[in-house]
Amino acid sequence: MRVLITGMGGEFGTRIAQLLEARRDVTEIVGVDFVPPRRRLRRSEFRRIDPRDREKLSAFVEEFAPTAVAHAGVYEPGSRLSPRMAAQYTESSGVVALGAAARAGQLERVVVRSAISVYGRGRGRPGVPDEDAPVAPTTPFGRSLLALESLAADLGRRNDIPVAALRMATIAGSHMPSPLGRVLRLPAVPVPALADPVFQLVHADDAARAMVAALVAGFDGPLNIVGPGAASVWQAVALGSRIPIPMTGPAWRVAAYAAELAGAPMPPHVTELLTKGSAADGSRALETLDLSGIRSTRDVCTELYEWATVMALRPDVPIAEVSRG
Amino acid sequence: MGEISALPTFGVDLDRAQHVAGTHLIRQRFHGQYAIDPFGADPQLQDLLAPVVTRLAPVRVTGASHIPEHHPALFVSNRGLGVLEPTALSVAVRQERGRRLRVVGAPEVPVLGDLLRKFGSVSNYPSDLRAVLRAGHLAVLPLGVTWLRTGGGVAPTDLLVAALGYPVIPVLVRPGGPLGLPLTPWKVVIGTPIRVGEIGDRDPLSAAELAEAAREAVQSLA
Repeated sequence: MRVLITGMGGEFGTRIAQLLEARRDVTEIVGVDFVPPRRRLRRSEFRRIDPRDREKLSAFVEEFAPTAVAHAGVYEPGSRLSPRMAAQYTESSGVVALGAAARAGQLERVVVRSAISVYGRGRGRPGVPDEDAPVAPTTPFGRSLLALESLAADLGRRNDIPVAALRMATIAGSHMPSPLGRVLRLPAVPVPALADPVFQLVHADDAARAMVAALVAGFDGPLNIVGPGAASVWQAVALGSRIPIPMTGPAWRVAAYAAELAGAPMPPHVTELLTKGSAADGSRALETLDLSGIRSTRDVCTELYEWATVMALRPDVPIAEVSRG
Repeated sequence: MGEISALPTFGVDLDRAQHVAGTHLIRQRFHGQYAIDPFGADPQLQDLLAPVVTRLAPVRVTGASHIPEHHPALFVSNRGLGVLEPTALSVAVRQERGRRLRVVGAPEVPVLGDLLRKFGSVSNYPSDLRAVLRAGHLAVLPLGVTWLRTGGGVAPTDLLVAALGYPVIPVLVRPGGPLGLPLTPWKVVIGTPIRVGEIGDRDPLSAAELAEAAREAVQSLA
């Protein structure tokens, strides 16, 4: 299998590359992104290409002619890029990389990262949708992922190849840049005054495992990937020993400005999670893919608060000893 | 089935009723160390209020052997006005099997909807009902309102699609007092399970067949 990983520079994409490197049936791994990988990779080749540079990206992918694509080139608004830039990068990365991979003529399977945001949230929508529930996104991030899913499904139909869309809960982890993680780690966190919405998270490692498992299995169709169990917004704030600041109505707009000033931007999908929750039924993925040992939402939530703070480095002490404490 | 729901979180079982210790509880709540499930249920709060509810709505159960000990199932019950019958059935299930019951039909309104979800209600969508049953829980789907509180009302076929392949258990819940007043223990009559179709089946004809069978079975218990 010759695998192309889009978005390899992120924590998530880099982890996918590491997992693929451990497989013998994967002969070549090539990744693209606008930032370099975050961990050491042994046999993957990386090319730094801005997804908006359509010509360069298209030529590179066509030349590589992948047999499989792990499309992790989805940029969460407020994670590393502003919402506007993130939408541009996500759209461009999907259209150009997937299109070029199909044109190269060797493509056999595709897995794309999506999110449970595609189901939307609020009145008229199920609280715990499964893969058969109607999709009706209520945020720009959800809409951009639905467009990506449609594009990938269309590509699958035209080329008669399996295309899996993995609808992830919010991907989090102590090393994963995540707008939700930044908000929850603020000393004081905005919470709904009159509600306690429920949300689910998935650990970045488990999300990467799911991408690889779906790619290897050649899964076709959507799958929800969520950490078992759930947490509520008030509970998450209590778990982190943060101060809850009850909000309602227009106060959320003020909270979003204040959080942004404090270094934790709150794009619409994060505000939606905090006010209406975000959950899905992940049982089909557990039955279909080998995801044994998947971390629960509560464990991922607890890990969010275990982000190492400042470590004093002394020139005479090796870093490994410092991190061991 | 049922494996995920049975995972204890902070020592709380999402499917089995438990006894809560008062002194421990406040510290756990303060530090966020309690369980919440994806439907919004808060089992610890349920266990805390259970003795009060049991005292307010005592029940006398007939046919308790039909309540599954472990597996998922859907009860279909008559409904007089709304929350009273499902509450009495919740008490019956807890009393006879020590299990929690999910009530389908949480209203989509702020505050009240959230509050009812904490106590075990789930939304009125086929997807939510499928998820509840897949997770191994017991759920109750009240039939259409019948003002005299007896007999089976209209069965929601669109929701029963989600229950194809699972045991569907007809239930009749009636207040024990004269003139339908809840003065003595509620009478809960549990019928024989019906099973139509295969799990995951989406056949609308089978769902209509199940709806009719469920309505008739509830009616026959009256």
